[in-house]
Amino acid sequence: MTALFILKWMAAFSPILTVLVLMIFKNWSGSRAGAAGWFVALIAASLFFGAHPKLLAYSQIKGILLSLNVLYIIWTALLLYNVVNETGAIKAIGIGIERFSSDKSIQILIFGWIFASFLQGVAGYGVPIAVVAPLLVSLGFSPVVAVAVPAIGHSWSVTFGSMGASFQTLMAVTGYEYAYLAPWSASLLGIAAFLCGIFCVHVFGGWKMVRHSFIAILIIGIAMSGTQYILAVTGMWTLGGFGASLVGLLSGLAVAKLKRYNQTPPSKATSQMSLAWALSAYFILIVIVSSGVMIPAVKTFLGQVQLIFSFPEIVSLKGWVVEAGKGKAINVFGHGGALLLYSSIISFLVYQSKGYYQTGAVKAIVQKTIKSGVPTSLGIVSMVCFAMIMDHCQMIYILAEGISRVFGPIYPLISPWIGLLGAFMTGSNTNSNVVFGVLQLETAQLAGLSTALILAAQTTGGALGSMIAPAKILVGCSTVGLSGKEGPVLKATLWYGFVITGIIGIIALVFSFIS
Amino acid sequence: MNDFFKKYNTTLKSMSLILMIAIPFFLYQGAIQDSDFQINLFLGLMVANMLFILKKG
Repeated sequence: MTALFILKWMAAFSPILTVLVLMIFKNWSGSRAGAAGWFVALIAASLFFGAHPKLLAYSQIKGILLSLNVLYIIWTALLLYNVVNETGAIKAIGIGIERFSSDKSIQILIFGWIFASFLQGVAGYGVPIAVVAPLLVSLGFSPVVAVAVPAIGHSWSVTFGSMGASFQTLMAVTGYEYAYLAPWSASLLGIAAFLCGIFCVHVFGGWKMVRHSFIAILIIGIAMSGTQYILAVTGMWTLGGFGASLVGLLSGLAVAKLKRYNQTPPSKATSQMSLAWALSAYFILIVIVSSGVMIPAVKTFLGQVQLIFSFPEIVSLKGWVVEAGKGKAINVFGHGGALLLYSSIISFLVYQSKGYYQTGAVKAIVQKTIKSGVPTSLGIVSMVCFAMIMDHCQMIYILAEGISRVFGPIYPLISPWIGLLGAFMTGSNTNSNVVFGVLQLETAQLAGLSTALILAAQTTGGALGSMIAPAKILVGCSTVGLSGKEGPVLKATLWYGFVITGIIGIIALVFSFIS
Repeated sequence: MNDFFKKYNTTLKSMSLILMIAIPFFLYQGAIQDSDFQINLFLGLMVANMLFILKKG
């Protein structure tokens, strides 16, 4: 490698380094750090990579089209969560689960692993840790364990959770369809599911408790990872995390009835809302998403209106060519976000007809959705837009070429670490896929590796990064009175996060040799 | 000034998000029509909006 190439590589890396430093060492929010990264990308692209106003204009509209695909899901997922939560249904689901077993390891698995994953499936964005941590404290767990357990437990389900927003992003930035990406992604995330279950229990009771709960982990793990795999590869990836955790919930409740885990009497706590009514919004969601994805007539009907933009060939001042083509289409009425919106409206009408809402519920739902959605959206849009500047000016290609030259055939080993780094710095699997998705794709192509495997390792690392992302740990700590004392939680989750990511890297390396 | 930003924090951020999504469509229109003026104008607006997010996001 020449000195000039190293300098160019460093200039190309500068926007990512900026975001990393600002978020990790300066505790900046994702939106502020994303804006800073955008400026650094703009300056580096203009000075060193031949960016010009027209190129910037096209790169930004492409960035917005990618962002809209993701924001459509994020906003409607938040809306559905708030429609349900405003009725008290989330609390009722927690109480309903607690009545099944008082075995500590089963409680950890059901709350910290399955229920947290379920919440990731329907909401995400820190909600699993924020909701489960106080529930675990109320069951007698220490605040540090109460935050660490759901942080570790939900992370495997992040990619296909939140109605598959992170997976949608991976498809959007790489241009691949689900059929190509889903098998490897669901496989690696399935392995991560078992590891998350094991380490959830290990946080509280060490290897002794892991041995005690091993049968439960095995049964529930097979149920969840198997369901996620089937849903992902059959095109219902929007339901991957949600469906898997729902099946996990049923299998967990069945396992809780085993004599081995049923030595002491369960809780007698009751809720005003039955478990069936509490879950009704999610049953509606399953019916609507299944119909929208699996019934051809419905799929065709909903897919009639698409927002598509065409782009001409774009050439940078340095001669880097981005071919002409169509941007990412937005299926206005058949998109995962649209299906979530229909589910939210119907669920609201059902809950309202049963009188579960108090006065002012609509205002509260709208306000909470906006309050959570705006900062997240600002972060995503700014990061996608700077990633698009980098993509249109050869910067990502230069990064990929450098990594490929250094690591070559053992690249799969470090691939999930890059995903983990992205999620750590941005607090989101989705953002990690935005920032590093194309980099991983191009590195894999240059090294002659399976792009599906490398992208699966990327998104698995990105998902696992959720357990160590300061943004999410902060949310969890704030709900159990640990604000300002996040260190011990982060220390615990860092260790588990590194171990699981290391194992996934080794597995990806082995698969890269045999595939 | 700080009180103003605190009071209207969510509203200002929402407006910033709307601008962030809307501006690139005008940039696209400018690029398709080969209008350097329109491209430069909306790139300037985008820079201003990003500066706001950098400060208050």
